[in-house]
Amino acid sequence: MRAGRPRSGTALLLVLPILFLGYFFLYPLIRILWLSLGGEGWIDAFTRRRFIEAAWFTLWQASLSTVLTVMAALPLTWVVSRFNFRGKSLVRAFVTIPFVLPTVVVGAAFLAVFDAGLGALIAAHVFYNIAVVVRTVGGVWSRIDPAVEQAAAVLGASPIRRFREVVLPLIKPALASASAIVFLFCFTSFGTVLVLGQGRLRTLEVEIYQQAVNFLDLPVAAALSLIQLVTVAAILVVSARTQKRASALTLASETRLPAPKRGGQRRTAGAILTVSLGLLAIPLVGLVGASLDGGGIGWRSLVTDTPSAVDPLPAIGNSLGYALIASLLAVVVGGLAASWLSERGAGGWFDLLLMLPLGTSAVTIGFGFLLALDRPIDLRGTAAMVPLAHALVAIPFVVRATLPLLRSIKRELREAAAVLGASPGRVWREIDLPIVTRALAVGAGFAAVVSLGEFGATSFVVRPASTTVPALIFRYLGRPGSSSFATAMALAVVLAAMTALIVLLIDRVRGAETGMF
Amino acid sequence: MLVVEDVSVHFGGKAALDDVSLEIGAGEVVALLGPSGSGKSTLLRAIAGLETVESGRIAFNGRDLAGVPVHERGFGLMFQSYALFPHLSVADNVAFGLRMKNVSDEEVRARVAEVLGWVGMEHFGLRRVDRLSGGEQQRVALARTLAPRPPLVMLDEPVGALDRMLRERLVEDIGRLLDREGAAAIYVTHDHEEARVISDRLAVMRDGKVVQSGPYETLAAAPATPWVAEFLGVNQQA
Repeated sequence: MRAGRPRSGTALLLVLPILFLGYFFLYPLIRILWLSLGGEGWIDAFTRRRFIEAAWFTLWQASLSTVLTVMAALPLTWVVSRFNFRGKSLVRAFVTIPFVLPTVVVGAAFLAVFDAGLGALIAAHVFYNIAVVVRTVGGVWSRIDPAVEQAAAVLGASPIRRFREVVLPLIKPALASASAIVFLFCFTSFGTVLVLGQGRLRTLEVEIYQQAVNFLDLPVAAALSLIQLVTVAAILVVSARTQKRASALTLASETRLPAPKRGGQRRTAGAILTVSLGLLAIPLVGLVGASLDGGGIGWRSLVTDTPSAVDPLPAIGNSLGYALIASLLAVVVGGLAASWLSERGAGGWFDLLLMLPLGTSAVTIGFGFLLALDRPIDLRGTAAMVPLAHALVAIPFVVRATLPLLRSIKRELREAAAVLGASPGRVWREIDLPIVTRALAVGAGFAAVVSLGEFGATSFVVRPASTTVPALIFRYLGRPGSSSFATAMALAVVLAAMTALIVLLIDRVRGAETGMF
Repeated sequence: MLVVEDVSVHFGGKAALDDVSLEIGAGEVVALLGPSGSGKSTLLRAIAGLETVESGRIAFNGRDLAGVPVHERGFGLMFQSYALFPHLSVADNVAFGLRMKNVSDEEVRARVAEVLGWVGMEHFGLRRVDRLSGGEQQRVALARTLAPRPPLVMLDEPVGALDRMLRERLVEDIGRLLDREGAAAIYVTHDHEEARVISDRLAVMRDGKVVQSGPYETLAAAPATPWVAEFLGVNQQA
């Protein structure tokens, strides 16, 4: 069978994405590079104790968070991918909630339950990332034919040896790629560290922000951004390699899973579910609880005018408006790029260019915007900066969410429709259009979720007069007084609810399980 | 009924079909047997109108099909990969061809239920196709192909992707359904056992050519070349 030929003229699809990414992504990066070369940026970055400490802290907290995430997630992954039980889809949805929550909300939720500090930060990272392991590893684990394990048992392998010698080698590639993603998220963690570290815990990301915004040492911030960028790119390459191996693994098609056996197995599975879900619920319940503290003053302050503070209601409006514009932009740019990519195989320079903003930390994007977007028109003081930055952060997500759907329109589907009697126009209307529409709706949903929760880039480019909900939550958390704290919690609940609503809508539209990474 | 005369198809200078001729009578089931790359699928695609025929002639009921677009030929083709529409339910997949013929909704519903019943999928109508097992997808693809009552049904290794046990049962099922519909059929396979069970006549293909055709017994008794004998699994000394 011959491979599908790319249709001619599709290069035109690329004009807009290349212009957009060129001006809003590559050009600011070049300005950052240029800036880092003036002054003592590089020398400082590699010699000052403060930065070496930040780099070391970034590295070890990310490693520790990753190891703990995997350890916490594996038992739950086993239950979810090995057994069928009532309410399983509900369990899977619940596990995914933390992952779609904005980082500032996760920070706030842990602040509601724990004291700020290292313990809370690591716990928050584990909470946030468990879904990555459960979904990535579980996807592979659930497709391993149970007979393989049974064969090992018949041959005399104990449960532990069966796991070590049969299951583990099979899920290893998925485990490696999940770990790489978790490490990446923890390595570039910003909002959570800012909220839970209270200035004492500094990752590279936080350091870049502080140098640029508080100390105005721009060359060193630029050098740190580039160090961060190179490291993240290296992690991405490793993760892409392992993912390739993971997909090369051929597995049995969907196997029918048993219910847990009565007795020991059932008790173990039940205990794992109860403990895991209970732990995941603590910060969520704590957040809602804290928002109700003080007789509901937090919620009341959302609707009443508070002197000196920025009003929460306009911020909610701003966030929704930014999300709308950002998802439109991201869907147009990302959709064009994805439809170009869907005619081709994976890989290639353009694929890389599209995925780079994913690897670039949000803080670097915000920093670059602030540095570079002064010509040909000075955008820096305008409200356009926020949705533009959000769109840039969201584009890789849009591409990844739409590409599998667009790729599902294979040449064969069009041929099958034609054989069944559909004219060329009818083929487009009945096959291409519904799938493209669905893909774009899913992409827009992801972009809106990203935009609503975005904090890193926003913190550089947002203007106080037109702030976003995450930025406002952070400001309220920084104010003294229990009523400010309650307001922050109430806002976090609102933001979490908005995000969850969109994710639910996405799941409705998408139906099938295609991954976000 | 179907006449294929000296048909050639080239892919980038290489002949995928080289002067192939084949005739199929009404209600006849012909198995195209050959190794992968021998041109079996290409022949099906050429008859369906999905490949451009450079020379030769394909005619159906006396009408030359050159210039007749794919969607106006009215044949059934079951793809090897099934090519089910991922955005449609099982029932909507099966209904697709009927809707293209502007059949009334009532008739569509009745026919879809009937055909799904034949393949034992009557309770799966509302399911999403990506939630089906391989065997279930195969049945839906078969139902979708048969639903519009095509006078000629082409099946491209319809059970090739399934495991052996399922395969034997499904081949028998397919044979029964083809009988019931009374349609002529071309059945592509590389398994001589499958070909023997399902077909009235075999055409053995190699390198884009039909090497030999006839009923299985004739071919097995007098294979044209040692290669045919080996491919049919018959011992020449016998």
